[in-house]
Amino acid sequence: MGIFKAILNGMGTTLRKPRLLAILYVVNLGFAAAVAFPLLLIVQSELGHSLLGLRVVPLDMMWLGEVVLEHQGALPALAGGIAFGAIAYLALHVYLNGGIVGRLLDREGPAGLAAFSADCGRYFWRYVRLFLLSLAFYVLTLGVFMSLVSALFKPLTEAAVTEWLPFFLSNVHFLIALLLLSAVHMVLDYTRIAIVADEERKVLKALRHALTFLRKRFFRAWALYLLIVALTVAGSVVFYAVFVRLGAPGVAQVVSGFLWMQLHVIFRIWIRTLFVGAQGEFYRAHPY
Amino acid sequence: MKKRIFYACLMLGAAFLVLPPAAFAGQAASAPAAGAPGLRYEIWVELDAAGKMLQGKEEIVWTNPTGDTVPDMLLHLYWNAFKNEASVFMREAAAETMFGGGEAPEEGEWGWVDITDIRLADGSDLKPSFQYVTPDGPETAGDQTVARVLFPAPVRPGESVHLRIEFRSKIPRTVARSGYYKNSFFIGQWFPKPGVYEEGKGWNCHAYHQNSEFFADFADFVVHITVPRGYVIGSSGKESGTRTDESTGTTTVTYRQAMVHDFAWMADPRYLKIERDFVAAKQVTAREYEEAAGLLGFTVDEVRLPDVKMILLIAPEHRGQIDRHFRALEAAIKYYGLWYGPYPYETVTMVDPPFRTGSGGMEYPTLFTAGTRVLASPEELSPEGVIIHEFGHGYWYGLTATNEFEAAWLDEGFNTYSTGRVAAKAYGPGAPSFVFKGIPLSRLIRLPKSFDFELNRTAAIHTVRFDPVTAWSWKFYNRGSYGANVYMRAATVLGTLEALVGEPAWSRIMRTYHMRFRFRHPTEHDFIGVVNEIAGKDMTWFFDEFIRGTRPFDYGVASLSSVKVPSRLRGVFDENGARTEWTTKKIAELEAAAKAPEVAPPAPSYRTTVVLRRYGDARVGGDAQVQVLVRFKDGSTETRTWDGQARWARLEFLKPVEVESAEIDPRGVWLIDENLANNSRAVDGVRRNVAKLTTQILFTMQIILHFVGSWS
Repeated sequence: MGIFKAILNGMGTTLRKPRLLAILYVVNLGFAAAVAFPLLLIVQSELGHSLLGLRVVPLDMMWLGEVVLEHQGALPALAGGIAFGAIAYLALHVYLNGGIVGRLLDREGPAGLAAFSADCGRYFWRYVRLFLLSLAFYVLTLGVFMSLVSALFKPLTEAAVTEWLPFFLSNVHFLIALLLLSAVHMVLDYTRIAIVADEERKVLKALRHALTFLRKRFFRAWALYLLIVALTVAGSVVFYAVFVRLGAPGVAQVVSGFLWMQLHVIFRIWIRTLFVGAQGEFYRAHPY
Repeated sequence: MKKRIFYACLMLGAAFLVLPPAAFAGQAASAPAAGAPGLRYEIWVELDAAGKMLQGKEEIVWTNPTGDTVPDMLLHLYWNAFKNEASVFMREAAAETMFGGGEAPEEGEWGWVDITDIRLADGSDLKPSFQYVTPDGPETAGDQTVARVLFPAPVRPGESVHLRIEFRSKIPRTVARSGYYKNSFFIGQWFPKPGVYEEGKGWNCHAYHQNSEFFADFADFVVHITVPRGYVIGSSGKESGTRTDESTGTTTVTYRQAMVHDFAWMADPRYLKIERDFVAAKQVTAREYEEAAGLLGFTVDEVRLPDVKMILLIAPEHRGQIDRHFRALEAAIKYYGLWYGPYPYETVTMVDPPFRTGSGGMEYPTLFTAGTRVLASPEELSPEGVIIHEFGHGYWYGLTATNEFEAAWLDEGFNTYSTGRVAAKAYGPGAPSFVFKGIPLSRLIRLPKSFDFELNRTAAIHTVRFDPVTAWSWKFYNRGSYGANVYMRAATVLGTLEALVGEPAWSRIMRTYHMRFRFRHPTEHDFIGVVNEIAGKDMTWFFDEFIRGTRPFDYGVASLSSVKVPSRLRGVFDENGARTEWTTKKIAELEAAAKAPEVAPPAPSYRTTVVLRRYGDARVGGDAQVQVLVRFKDGSTETRTWDGQARWARLEFLKPVEVESAEIDPRGVWLIDENLANNSRAVDGVRRNVAKLTTQILFTMQIILHFVGSWS
């Protein structure tokens, strides 16, 4: 199967399961609302009855400074709350991954809450172990490997005569990190898929399946991954281009702005499922 | 031979004392206080590019301008700040709590200056009396940035003393805007320089502190700079001759400048040197002259600007930004000139700081350093902002040469304020810098633009609790408090004062202060004196509260309500000899009867109560008042004033309609107010924009969480 067909098939699978998307969206919205609640309260209490609210924008320097000053005592608690919320969401997603992969690989199966939850529970501990393994991967790649790249570049950077060389090397360094990260993400994606597709209980064995699969077709698989990344970027550009043209905050603009933002969140969640759907199609089309 | 050259140069220097006539246009009292300066330098310096050394000779003629008899001289040896960790500069850097002290120099990267010989012109050797001193207290022992020499005989009032100094300096590797990187050199604060002698007080000559810039007397300079052949030089002053020595492979360039108090230069073999003219007749329109003159009450001829030679030294990789540099400099020359007084020198040299010399964003008389990147966004005012700012220092530090050790705000604050005005006039609001890995993203992701005064205020309101603006530079809580107070808070206070006295009076205040104290060393008392004089009232309270004080300023609207006034009061009343009891029921019946179509209904009446509060400890003073604008639902408004002295005040209005909103300080005079959100209150709330903001915060959180989830 070619990568474009894998993507098209993946799209078909994800679009046939709108309930899956709905579950993930509701979880995201609810969690975000809970984490953002203290911030929303601050906005309401500060600006809800102030004429300053008529002109304030999110990065209004006149207001941001004073709101930080006003709530400086609460800032560590706020930051801590957001960090805790983010970690909790990460943990929740380790749980949800089972449902996402399980339901998407079951092409014709149901995607309701019951089936989704069952898959979440079924694969939970395997995905916990995979998550812990992924931390080691990140340390190895972003930590050790990228440090080596930095050490390689350092003498060149230090000897530079103009800004161009450090500028170029810094961007090359960043690009290498991004590509490396995408490769690691891809390996972990295929391991998740192997756990479900191959009903593999041992995470290390699933990882071996994924690596064996990728060894023969690494660049095609990577191209598939990067194509979906490109689709994400394109979608984000479209979102932003429209968003900045929504204009002054009349009722219609506020409502349409909110809907547009939520549509973008749904798009991003769909992309997440597309990674699984398309890579799942690609994996199953090439028995190793 | 050397003596003859020296005196020839002195005579030549005297010729420079006659400043361009335009320097004093429009101001009768702007001539240098003492006429000819009491200080003259001639310096010969040679750059050893390979050894990163300077070899120098210096002739100083100092005339005692006071009634004191002076037995000694204190000299700044600034580069000894980079000599070792015993220096005040290094110790303060290590103790810095906010930004950290930075990395210690590596082997061969420390800098220092040694006086190898110092004597009077008659040959009297002063070296035996030479000693390092610690004028800022015994706790600065070990510092070698100030030295003292004793004269064989005290210098009496009006007498001159002629010193000959030989010095040797190791150029530091990029520290505090002086130093080298490979073959690039930026040389500032490099020569032994006397402090400022103050009558009755002695030498004002502080150690080199981390949070401080400089203070020196106006002088005439002749400087001969020798560099390896092929190097491009940029320098303070005007170039007056070049000589190449084939035998040594060096080039010597001579620069001269009268009436400046410092001299800096740079050398780099790669640099491009471009010259253009600021032609006032082309740059300033007749309308702009008329506007400036009208505001100041001058004739157009009195505000007319002279032409200026603009010199740019720029790295080849920045050549695409040459026009941006000149355009910003032209705007600065024009507006500083129109508002505060014409630029009095023939040249201004703008230096794109050599790569990794850390010399960007610094001012010296007739020369300043800017700063840019290879990829500069047209959306951001960079390098424009730094060009305007550093040129502007030529006015506040360069011409009204305040003591930056003891009153940094008189330079930094005035110039931050002025930079904002010029940038706003020439460019409008600027986009915040948004750069990732050297790539400007402000074109892709458009963040809201803002004016400098908005950014300044944001920093200013946070810093009042730490220090007064007037603290001495090294006595601030930390570097953050120093920066936010002397730059942003001072600028915000000046913006507040501008709004308080009004634009015409403010324009005259700034012009008068600048021109009256040009080529002098004014203090805050001088500025306050001008403010009181032009404003025609005593504004000292303003400076006591906002410059010398540390109390937060915050007035606000605490509550706002309208209550319908009942047609009758309830209770028992003695009316016309009878006792009547009015209950809610009876009043309702009366009102129902009044609603009958045949009876004309009484006009409803609402009692509106607005409660104002002074949340901060600072308060308005003098004849200043806090204005309150109350809007009612029929579109009518009422304006009241409050003297703002008590902690709160209640205002009441009886109107036929309910209140819509109340706003304190509707004209936005009190920029220094630390909470603008509580300055107004609307009864029905402000839903749309706040709803938009709320949805954006929620969306941002959703995207953040989605991103975090992708790492699972």
